[in-house]
Amino acid sequence: MSKLRDWKLPVFITFILLGVLITVQFRTQQTYLRDLSQQSQDDLLQMLSRNNEEKTKLEQELTVLDQKLRTVSTDVTTGENLTKELQQDILEQKTAIGLIPVKGPGITITIDANSPIMYMDLIDIINELWNAQAEAIAINEHRVTSWTKIHWSGENSMAVTVNGKKITFPCVITAIGDPNKLEEGLRLMGGVLDDLAVYDIYPVITKEESLEVPGAEMPNIRFMIPKAES
Amino acid sequence: MWVPFLGLLIGLLIGTVLNIPIPGVWAKYLSIAVLAALDSAFGGIKSIFEERFNATILLTGFFSNTLMAALLAYLGDQLGVDLYLAAVIAFGVRLFQNLAIIRRELLDKMVEKRQSKRRKRDNSE
Repeated sequence: MSKLRDWKLPVFITFILLGVLITVQFRTQQTYLRDLSQQSQDDLLQMLSRNNEEKTKLEQELTVLDQKLRTVSTDVTTGENLTKELQQDILEQKTAIGLIPVKGPGITITIDANSPIMYMDLIDIINELWNAQAEAIAINEHRVTSWTKIHWSGENSMAVTVNGKKITFPCVITAIGDPNKLEEGLRLMGGVLDDLAVYDIYPVITKEESLEVPGAEMPNIRFMIPKAES
Repeated sequence: MWVPFLGLLIGLLIGTVLNIPIPGVWAKYLSIAVLAALDSAFGGIKSIFEERFNATILLTGFFSNTLMAALLAYLGDQLGVDLYLAAVIAFGVRLFQNLAIIRRELLDKMVEKRQSKRRKRDNSE
């Protein structure tokens, strides 16, 4: 027992190292056994078939999801197309009722300040232009729409008002449409120009390649509603 | 007698905590190294009972046996000779011999102790 001190420490160290070695080897052996190369052929085959099954399942899922994706994107495209169509529709309708500025070929009719023109004459000219298939008409910068008022002003029968505003001279009427047709319509025998000539009014008619007509303001919609919706 | 067990326990704990990663291919060589280490450790304990314990021999033996066993196994693999088996048999046989000697020594000690106790009791009576 006198040798106790001599052996304790070396043996202690040896066994610590032994313990470390054993755990490391245990771990390594576990990983080695779990390694694919150490599996039996049957197990490997089973794993393979299981993986194949899973692969097939996933592929089927992929197909289904792919179809869904296609449906959804088709829906989106349809929705986008619908929106575009609706926007196009709205634009067309706004253009038709004269809410937005438009441009195109047409004619201008200039009436100078010396002409003794009355509001009736303006109405006649505009009616004739509509008749000659004008698509948009403006008197000076006032767009002529279905709710445009052309009248004389209260105090002076010679002052013409459009939408309640006095027009200034020279008065320029702009009309978009087929320039030849429009001019012909005005120059018709016994037509507007002949009538005006009686009163010494000789408007100047110019054909233009490109004219601009401003848009009108949105009219009041308070009482009316679409019949189909009521 | 608790020293080897305590050392082993601490060693196991250290190994668990450190988690040293070794490639799976080395498992074979490491296993033979562990066998050599076991042999050395038990050889050390045996030498205590035989009262010719030598710390230098134990430690150098432990390291050189471990390394040499692993190296020989590796060399055998490279040469196509199963030196691995030779190491397993050599260390295995010695391990069991050492264990047998330790068991006998322990039994002898126990018997001695019992006898001395009985003797003491007899004397006191």
